[in-house]
Amino acid sequence: MSTETAAAPEAPRKRRNFNVLFGLTLLALLVVLWIVLSIATPSFASPVNIANLLRQGSMIAILAVGQTFVIITGGIDLSVGAVVGFSTVVTALMINAGWPVWLAVATTLLVGIGIGVFHGFGIVKMGLPPFIITLATLTSLRGIGLLMTNGNSINIQSEAFQTFSRGSFGGVPNLFWMVILVGVPAYVFLQHTRWGRYLFSVGSNAEAARLSGVNVNRTIYMAYTLSGLCAAFVGVLLASRIGIGNPTQAEGWELQAIASSVIGGTSLFGAVGSVHGPLLGAFILATINNGANLLNVNSFWQRIITGVLIIVIVYFDGLRRKGGR
Amino acid sequence: MSQAALRTDDALARGAPAPILELKGLEKRYPGTHALKPVDLAFLPGEIHAVVGENGAGKSTLIKLLTGAIVRTGGDMIWEGRSVPLSTPLEAQALGINAVHQEVVLCRHLSVAANIFLGDEETRYGLLRQRAMVRDAQKILDDLGFHLPAGVMLGDLTIGQQQLVAAARATVRGTKFLIFDEPTAYLTRREAEQLFALIRRLKAQGVTIIYISHRMEEVFELADRVSVLRDGTYVGTRAIGETDEPELVRMMINRSLEQIYHKEHFAFGAPIVEARNLSGKGFEDVSITVREGEIVGLYGLVGAGRSEFVTTLYGRHAKSAGSIHWQGREVDIRSEHDAIKLGMALAPESRRDQGLCLNLPVGFNINLPVYKRISANGLISNGEEKRQAEQQIGGLRIKTPTRHALASSLSGGNQQKIVIGKWLNHGAKLFIFDEPTVGVDVGTKAEIYRLFGELLRNGAGIILISSYLPEVYELADTLHVFRRGRLVASHGFRAATDETVLTEAIGKA
Repeated sequence: MSTETAAAPEAPRKRRNFNVLFGLTLLALLVVLWIVLSIATPSFASPVNIANLLRQGSMIAILAVGQTFVIITGGIDLSVGAVVGFSTVVTALMINAGWPVWLAVATTLLVGIGIGVFHGFGIVKMGLPPFIITLATLTSLRGIGLLMTNGNSINIQSEAFQTFSRGSFGGVPNLFWMVILVGVPAYVFLQHTRWGRYLFSVGSNAEAARLSGVNVNRTIYMAYTLSGLCAAFVGVLLASRIGIGNPTQAEGWELQAIASSVIGGTSLFGAVGSVHGPLLGAFILATINNGANLLNVNSFWQRIITGVLIIVIVYFDGLRRKGGR
Repeated sequence: MSQAALRTDDALARGAPAPILELKGLEKRYPGTHALKPVDLAFLPGEIHAVVGENGAGKSTLIKLLTGAIVRTGGDMIWEGRSVPLSTPLEAQALGINAVHQEVVLCRHLSVAANIFLGDEETRYGLLRQRAMVRDAQKILDDLGFHLPAGVMLGDLTIGQQQLVAAARATVRGTKFLIFDEPTAYLTRREAEQLFALIRRLKAQGVTIIYISHRMEEVFELADRVSVLRDGTYVGTRAIGETDEPELVRMMINRSLEQIYHKEHFAFGAPIVEARNLSGKGFEDVSITVREGEIVGLYGLVGAGRSEFVTTLYGRHAKSAGSIHWQGREVDIRSEHDAIKLGMALAPESRRDQGLCLNLPVGFNINLPVYKRISANGLISNGEEKRQAEQQIGGLRIKTPTRHALASSLSGGNQQKIVIGKWLNHGAKLFIFDEPTVGVDVGTKAEIYRLFGELLRNGAGIILISSYLPEVYELADTLHVFRRGRLVASHGFRAATDETVLTEAIGKA
């Protein structure tokens, strides 16, 4: 028996290599897309366009990170797009009411947390499936937002607030800095804290986790709260970018966030996922949309391409996992 | 069929019935492993042929080859004198080969009848003939002597009853050659008796039965011949009348029986936990004390209230009356979390459903209860995580390439070791083992029992729940017998005969 343990270190290195390899494959895909587009259209590589691309991808990227936490527990958060739209309204209303920007932002984030806690409550206490409770919030939040605004857009009367999203720091758009601001702590949280481990354990086998002393309910609350928080944060960024509060904004972003996460190697069955994967996934999607625009590809095609890409990447990911065993 | 005809392979040549299936140098290689080394073996029509061996000995591989679940990489299979590829389950079924698996693989949300006819439904004009199927299924079940209703949802039956349904389903298909893989692992004694009756009847009808079990007494009760596998190698075949348990165990592991139930006695220390007149869902008025250095065995039939008692102790369910004292102090245990904080550890009955995060790494599972301890300011210490995991992997001799391998890739016995390892790591004071050796081979069993000794030496106490009488009988310092939710008798180490204990558990004089 002991002889077998001696011959050990081969297999895990392989498994790790596979993971790294998958990350690299995504990165390579992104780079290849960039190179091809730079050659195909001169406007792609322009600093203006690159900055634009980073801005486009950033918000979905942040949503995808929050979404990934939820998916790792074996759940799903369909509400994030609606939370983004609702948050633009909350932010706009408060800024226009004369609140200081920081207070308006902080309050919006608290609203996002509140929505996440509500999801946790619905799942843990009411026993509703995540799909249902977040679907319910998706439609109700849009409705509440429309009631609050009477269906109108609210123009945000703060120039300073709006310049933030257009500005850049060190040549990099501020919005992309926000991805780093979210991504680095998210990575540390997921890979290097016990709460990250608990997310995985709940997604893998909630019963085993419970019997091991993991507070499963609290872990579920945590996942949805983080997702709600990320969504509210994106809402603030979007409000800054478009300068209005409008509850119908960010239509379908929840699906883009889920797609980014899945392209980034997250398993919808839970217990498999990372932070860098969804980030890469989000920027791959953004690049495809951006490139298609520049190449004057019919925007209907962009949707089709995205769909095909999801199938192809997840299929190859499945092959990789089988091979990795 | 006469004994002589079954005696040896030489007898085959002397005009015994022609084998129904012959394996000639059958083997299976995977990249990197030789799962089954060339086997030459012949199965006779109408015999019950037991196959025994430790986990990882190659039994599962053999079953999968026979049922067409995997394709052989070498050798030949001769079915009724004709070489067959046996490369798909459909082909196996067409020949009349079928298997009943250890874990029920049926649809819980369909009726018993629908399950029995799944994939082979009766239809008229393309529509299901639901009532006819229920009627026919009921007839099949009645004919088999199972007292089960065909119309109910499968999920409403106990695991044991579901197993019987699976057996019924297989008999409809496996008309010539039927494989039972550890069929009694989750059965009550009565259900097991029903199953044995079925197996004997099938044999009388000329069906060849392959019977795989870890329980030696079943092998001797049922089988005509027994074949032994060890480490993917075919060791040999014996007629059941010409061998005995010690010989089979030697063939399987090179270790004697006495070494398996290696019981060490320690002086008892202070009481760790005391349940005083505890009542809860499924049990009533139970008083039990566990002291340092003591194994307390809980024996009873499935559903007698043993598991319910310990899950209540562990905070899973609320108690309705009585009190729990932990190291002399009355405690209120409201959740598993409370129990774990006190120093309790539960290795649950079902490893797959409750014990492990299968699609996560071994090291992750081992450290799951202690992540709090090995992190500072929320950050996990990588070095500590590695050290703890490797200490348990080494100490328990868990067969895994490294701590990064997924728990699902390990054998059942090694998975059980992970469950134990994670609690050793946690440093618990009271260990509750619920059926720790179900589906575990003799060698691993011996190791798990050896571990018990080590736990006791370190001053821990153990509650051992088992439906397998020899296990509690040979190991428990104090043996409590449960029947219908009540504690009906208590004995010291080997103080009562095993017949007495059994009678107390069943409740007949």
